Amino acid sequence: MKRPVAVVGVGQTQHSSRRADLSIPGLVREAADRALVDAGLDYGDVDAVVMGKAPDQLEGVMQPEQFLAGALGAHLKPLIRVHTAGSVGASTALAAVTHVASGLFDRVLTVAWEKQSEGNAMWALSPNMPFTPPLVAGAGGFFAPYCRAYIARTGCPPHIGPMVAVNARDNATRNDYAHLREPMTFEDVMNSPVLWDPIRYLETCPSSDGAVALVVASEEQARKGPRKPAWIKAGYSYAEAMWVPGRDQVSPMAGKICAKAVYDAAGIKNPWKEIQTIEIYVPFAWFEPMWLENLGFCDVGEGWKIVDRGDQKMGRHLPVNPSGGVLCTNPIGASGMLRLGEAALQVMGRAGAHQVDGARNALGHAYGGGAQYFSMWLVSSER
Amino acid sequence: MAKLRNVAIVGFAQAPIVVRDEHRVASEILYPQVRRALADCGVERDAIDYQVAGSADYVDGRPFGFVAALDVTGTWPPRQDLHLEMDAAFAAHYAWIRMQAGDCDTAIVCGYGKNSEGEPEHVLNLELDPYYQAPLGLGPTSTAALQASAFMARTGTTDRTLAEVAARNRTAGVRNPDALVRARATADDLERTPWAVAPLRKGYLAPTGDSAVCVVLATEGKAEKMCERPAWIRGVDQRIERQTLGSRDLSASAGARLAAEKALAMAGVGAREADVVELAATNPAEELILLEALGIGPSDAVNPSGGPLCGHPFMMTGLIRLGEAFRQLAGRAGDHAVPRARTAIAHATLGHCLQQNLFFVLGTERRWT
Repeated sequence: MKRPVAVVGVGQTQHSSRRADLSIPGLVREAADRALVDAGLDYGDVDAVVMGKAPDQLEGVMQPEQFLAGALGAHLKPLIRVHTAGSVGASTALAAVTHVASGLFDRVLTVAWEKQSEGNAMWALSPNMPFTPPLVAGAGGFFAPYCRAYIARTGCPPHIGPMVAVNARDNATRNDYAHLREPMTFEDVMNSPVLWDPIRYLETCPSSDGAVALVVASEEQARKGPRKPAWIKAGYSYAEAMWVPGRDQVSPMAGKICAKAVYDAAGIKNPWKEIQTIEIYVPFAWFEPMWLENLGFCDVGEGWKIVDRGDQKMGRHLPVNPSGGVLCTNPIGASGMLRLGEAALQVMGRAGAHQVDGARNALGHAYGGGAQYFSMWLVSSER
Repeated sequence: MAKLRNVAIVGFAQAPIVVRDEHRVASEILYPQVRRALADCGVERDAIDYQVAGSADYVDGRPFGFVAALDVTGTWPPRQDLHLEMDAAFAAHYAWIRMQAGDCDTAIVCGYGKNSEGEPEHVLNLELDPYYQAPLGLGPTSTAALQASAFMARTGTTDRTLAEVAARNRTAGVRNPDALVRARATADDLERTPWAVAPLRKGYLAPTGDSAVCVVLATEGKAEKMCERPAWIRGVDQRIERQTLGSRDLSASAGARLAAEKALAMAGVGAREADVVELAATNPAEELILLEALGIGPSDAVNPSGGPLCGHPFMMTGLIRLGEAFRQLAGRAGDHAVPRARTAIAHATLGHCLQQNLFFVLGTERRWT
């Protein structure tokens, strides 16, 4: 990055299974209004808009940023639309960071959203690939074998997935914006039906309506702002091909390389010791230990032991997804940007009831495709 | 204007546009273009820092169509990557911004997606807002006809003028081996074709088709080693307008005017100095509206490739304009070369009635010294 970039505003909607009170423009506007108010700015101050969402088939509108341009005050401004599968919320925020880092733009509004109640996610996420029998299994059917492979490889015991799910829900009870906030017990999870072995119903992310917006800005703007900014120390998006012999879907190389690039650029030598909290993309509970390993917080086969010891809970060594994460709120296109925005709120000290004490460095992470797209940033309270 | 990094187009490969590439999926059409573009630059994939693509899931009617492209762009080991759900020309603009941020020196920009997998009139209807406009059943030809009517009413432009503009594109396209339509057609011929949607005749419309495109970008210092005559980006800008058709003056394009002004100001040239103007106009009225936004009149400098009227693989049409500008400046335009071309303008658009517009200004000389 040619010059420093900071998050100066964060806004998100109330997430729920059906925001019938709002149209799609109303939904994105709720998040964007809140982010701009947070930053002490108005639409007229915005130099460019960077929007992201997952496949257009989820709502049945092609390139919906075109009809949302008016609602977002983008008339006669530059606007781009990003789509990198599930990682899109994160890669979108990073594209906005690039705009500011270039020196060509000082204040960029970036918005990510999904209104799943206006479509059918199982249909939209079951692509019919040439020469491949359609599974019509959605994302869960696609990723369950990866979780099984992780269990087989590491000896991860059967109670780990339910433990992750219970902790995520416990965290969400402290997040006013979360979709699923009803507390649940270990027994509740064990008694819920298996959807795709080993993934149970209550180890699965919901379908949500929701949006999130961030204002990213130059150092000069950040110093003027009404609040303490979150400084973006580093951010990268990496992808890897699908059909590569020997490709490891359980711990993909793109995730490892992306994390290393972020840590190197941010000067992080030991993530376990130097990062106080992380918001990572866990759509199915078993991915939490998988990503702890992939992101270098522990050795291979040790991720589930962190969960088993409870070291990823609030108040312990490394609180994971203090917001409740994707397991409690999943407007797909927004889910990645929510991770990055929540990480920013933590280092700004403004995460409210789910604030992690002493959060100086936080990692926000998302993945997508067939575990091929990885996008993450490291934010800090210090410039 | 602050000093920016000089960035050039150094490579371009395009699959000849066909009505339907029956035997290949989109990524199979793309693969040879990536290989050719890299070979033209004399480099392997490892020499490229960044990849960014533009395509749209609804073009081939399935989610995540772009994921398959990772398998043909050399995305192993893992690479820095981004995908825009836009015409791939916007991806080229983003790569340029990324180079200005100092995050990469070389990039490949890919466009793909088989138009023949769907029915464009129905596919592009879905771009309109789902509450008011899309349910009316408006397709891109209907909305373009509304715009053409508004333009003709304001300016007094006649059907004959539209026919002449279309005929000039068709005459130029005869010499472009990558064009879909290479049959010559006169203004008399085109003026006799039936109405598609009045005031647009069938002979005035851009035929969609299948193709794939790869452009290579590089910063000063590397560009000269990858290409004998790089096409330097001297200025670039893009602007969107609000969508609702009733909320803007369709007889003109305020967004195109602003983007053109900004790009030309950055480039430090006037539109009249351009030897080549490649416009992503999908009918003659759009071409005239864009020329008005640029402040120039019709001429043979416009669309020497034949333009979209000779082949319109949408979501790639804009990137092809950029590639054509490169061909002209790099001396690679073959039979459709404009002699001694030194300055070129390339345009891309998205949405109905020129909703979003992007202009590149390119030259044989670097902008910043």
